[in-house]
Amino acid sequence: MAVLKFDNVTVQYPVYNSRSMSLRNQLVRISTGGRIEGEAGHIQIVTALNQVSFELHDGDAVGLMGHNGAGKSTLLRTMAGVYHPVSGTVTRHGKVATVLELGAGMDPELSGYENIIRMGVLMGLSIPEIRGKTAEIEEFTQLGDFLQLPVRTYSSGMATRLMFAVATSTQPDILLVDEIFGTGDAEFQVKAKERMESLIKSVGIFVFASHNNALIRQYCNRFFRLEHGQLVEIEPVDIEAK
Amino acid sequence: MQSLQCFRIVTFMALSDVRARYKRSVLGPLWLTLGTAGGSAGLGFIWSELLHIEAATFVPTLTAGLILWQFIAGIISESTVLFNRQASIIRNLNLPLAIHPMQLLLRHLINFAHNAPVFFIVAILLGLPMNTNAWLALPGLFLVALNLLWLALLIGLLGARFRDLEYLIATIMPLLMFISPVFYRPNYLPFSEQIMWFNPFSHFIEIVRSPLLGNPPPVFVVETNLLMLACGTLVTLCLFNSKRNRIAFWV
Repeated sequence: MAVLKFDNVTVQYPVYNSRSMSLRNQLVRISTGGRIEGEAGHIQIVTALNQVSFELHDGDAVGLMGHNGAGKSTLLRTMAGVYHPVSGTVTRHGKVATVLELGAGMDPELSGYENIIRMGVLMGLSIPEIRGKTAEIEEFTQLGDFLQLPVRTYSSGMATRLMFAVATSTQPDILLVDEIFGTGDAEFQVKAKERMESLIKSVGIFVFASHNNALIRQYCNRFFRLEHGQLVEIEPVDIEAK
Repeated sequence: MQSLQCFRIVTFMALSDVRARYKRSVLGPLWLTLGTAGGSAGLGFIWSELLHIEAATFVPTLTAGLILWQFIAGIISESTVLFNRQASIIRNLNLPLAIHPMQLLLRHLINFAHNAPVFFIVAILLGLPMNTNAWLALPGLFLVALNLLWLALLIGLLGARFRDLEYLIATIMPLLMFISPVFYRPNYLPFSEQIMWFNPFSHFIEIVRSPLLGNPPPVFVVETNLLMLACGTLVTLCLFNSKRNRIAFWV
């Protein structure tokens, strides 16, 4: 049974400029007694999520909306356990798969087939397991002979197909998908929809961040909107009212 | 379950790198071996003549020193970008961060295994007398590997936060090479031997090399290695535990 629960979660992260990422400048700062601190070590703290609380269970398909920089990707990464909150608790039961960033976990020099194995291993499958799924992934992506070429030659849509196919074939309980999914063409969207529907039906939580309201309506049954790190759940009728 | 998965990822990533190299060229990583062999043959004979030392003892010393230095310096220089290079994994998958230094170590151990035969070939060709003390090199190598593991984690952590550490390390590594016994035995240096022992890498080299040359490693070298391992691991783990949640934001 998949559960994803956020209780008053706040995520903050530091943004360093190039000067504060320099050890030399940090040392200079110490040796000058911190007098040029304002110049040498300007670190800004960004509060990306502010006291976010919600509870997701099996069968929840969540559409995540918000402007650029509203905190959608941060929320997805916090759900995945990549980012850790500074306060509040995240409770997560179930296996997570992510499709967050184009090319994540892929080695651009390796072929499509080799990357299927690589990503499968990274997502927790054994090599025989992932070999058993290769035919199905091949069929789903419809990349054909392109799977023998290095992934660096792929278009973003092709890479998305491959990532999505591997991520869903690991049979996750929780699937987190960011906007890059939108780079797939119409045919892919139809196939992806089937896959996700069966995934949501089997058991699972699905979270999808997008600016495409039509897609969100198609896939999701709950809708969250993020504004300046604050999360509100909205009704389907309110989606258009941006 | 989780440790099994980590083990699988570590071995897969280390091996896939080697496999890729075998695939791209006929000789694969054996180029490494050839390069080491060529380097130590060339340097060895010229230097033994320049320094008026007998080649039969000097060349194996130099070969072992170079091979060990490649192993140590390879790990140290690469660990500055350890986490940055794996950013696409760190930012997208919830995996233990310790897999990265482990796969780095394993990958370099595999390269080391490709280079090691050069030493034995040189030793046989030049008739270096080897004795049962040589087996002591194995626990020595094990200690060095553990020491390099915490160093990789520590440098990787600092390198993720301070991007210029990469250049700093690249600058000081050649310097450290000259104050470590790569090109000579510690006792060749009448005055600077003390300085050399301040370099931790000297201890890494000696603990593996002196058994190969027939003598058990000096006790203080073993003690230094053990002490470094204990203190280094402790400090690194403390720092790592307090900063591990920040790494995903840094890379």
